[in-house]
Amino acid sequence: MQKDIQSDARIIENLTLCSETGMVHHTADSFGNAFHWFRLGTPRHLTRAAALLRDVGARLCMATAYNRRQLSEPMQEVCYHFELGGVVYNLTVTLNGEWPVVPSITHLFANADWHEREMMELYGINVTDHPNPRRLFLDEEFDEGILNQAVPLSIMMNGACTTDLWERILKDREKLS
Amino acid sequence: MNTGGRSFSMPLGPVHVALEEPVYFHLTVEGETIRKVELTSGHVHRGMEAMATQRNLTKNTTLTERVCSLCSNSHSFTYCMAVENVLGINIPQRARYLRVLAEEIKRVASHLFNTAIQAHIIGFKSLFMHTMEVREMIQDVKETVYGNRMNLAQNCIGGVKCDVTPELLKYILGMVDKMEPGVEEIRELYSSNSMVLGRTKGLGLLPKEDALRLGVVGPVARGSGLKMDVRKDSPYAAYPDLEFETIVSDGCCIHSRTTVRLHEIFESFRLIRQCCECVPDGATTASMRQIRSAEACARTEAPRGEVFYYIRTNGTDRPGRLKWRVPSYMNWEALGVMMKDCKVADAALITNSIDPCVSCTER
Repeated sequence: MQKDIQSDARIIENLTLCSETGMVHHTADSFGNAFHWFRLGTPRHLTRAAALLRDVGARLCMATAYNRRQLSEPMQEVCYHFELGGVVYNLTVTLNGEWPVVPSITHLFANADWHEREMMELYGINVTDHPNPRRLFLDEEFDEGILNQAVPLSIMMNGACTTDLWERILKDREKLS
Repeated sequence: MNTGGRSFSMPLGPVHVALEEPVYFHLTVEGETIRKVELTSGHVHRGMEAMATQRNLTKNTTLTERVCSLCSNSHSFTYCMAVENVLGINIPQRARYLRVLAEEIKRVASHLFNTAIQAHIIGFKSLFMHTMEVREMIQDVKETVYGNRMNLAQNCIGGVKCDVTPELLKYILGMVDKMEPGVEEIRELYSSNSMVLGRTKGLGLLPKEDALRLGVVGPVARGSGLKMDVRKDSPYAAYPDLEFETIVSDGCCIHSRTTVRLHEIFESFRLIRQCCECVPDGATTASMRQIRSAEACARTEAPRGEVFYYIRTNGTDRPGRLKWRVPSYMNWEALGVMMKDCKVADAALITNSIDPCVSCTER
């Protein structure tokens, strides 16, 4: 137990150094399970931080791309979730708004393959040096980000009683002009 | 068949590879031997994560329960845990036990279903029918206690919806006693019947180092000698108070994964009994709290392995982002290792051994 706590403290220290922002916080659920959150300075730091976690034997659980306000807006951040000995380590990367790029970590974690391919085709993030950048769910013939162009059926059907549809059209027109 | 070392490309799927869900394999074969596997999915992508951001937190409990059928309870369970973590809700003791009770009942049903389908693929019809008949008892339990055979709708944010009365707890205990000999018989058949062993033992190998490398979870990982179980590694709900074992088998083959599932059913029976006997009295829900901008994750052990949820709230009642990763998502790539150098005739059996779920992989 003592050994686990010491190794956990060492990982936290190394990841904090790696992030170069010093922005770290820790949370726990009501059952006492720990979650550590690290914010990386730039996407370039991701490879080093991920290599550090690989070396201590952590496992990649998931990667989440998101926009802080709404999912339909361009992605702003990606959070990588790792697990080691029951503790979850989250690395958050801030993306460049114009041209969102993250380096691939598939060479470090083989199971990052699917997560990164999904980020490319569904969230329009460019993953550099991906060893297998094929489509995951969408057919090759579809354009990237095609799902963002669709109008949800609920918005379409409520066109008569809400302003959602009209707002959507105005927004799309702005984008085109 | 002598092909002179030439290889051919062979399509398999997208329907009826092992179950009635679409996934498409491109097999590169030499004669009847598989050399390479490539996978195409996406036939049933439903855009559920986008749908989740258009619904409020309460409605999403219902939505997430529909991600998967056999793991339905694990999704609403983990989703509710993620919301409770982000809002700082502490659920009552009674709710912790009742959540575990529902989860373990679902695990028994899920493992028995996968085992039954294995017999079906082998062509052992009587064993398939017998396993499904035993499983029907746990289906009856679900229907009697929760009113539904598949989606139990037991979890809600802050606790559980349905309080289980002492009479029903007694009924569950009686049904578990009735089921146990039946499952014992099934376990014996799967470990000794020459027809089953001939098709499953030493086939579909996933060595421990590949299991680690690919990050597989659940019975697929435990069947390759990896001791991992979220219920033990980061205990949640009532699991820290309950006694059970993590089943590990190092055979790395189809049979090994089936053995893990069949033994786990008995651990689930143990957990169900403890829940029925020790469930404390008291409230079943905690009240809702104010929604601020924050982020949290939660993870649980579903029948197929670790389920991981991430939620980001933005101060409104709709989540800014809800993302989840299902166990099957991690296990598909392992099929490339398992099927290599196996016969085409074993592809369906090997696919079934990871207990795949296409609808939840694609969401």
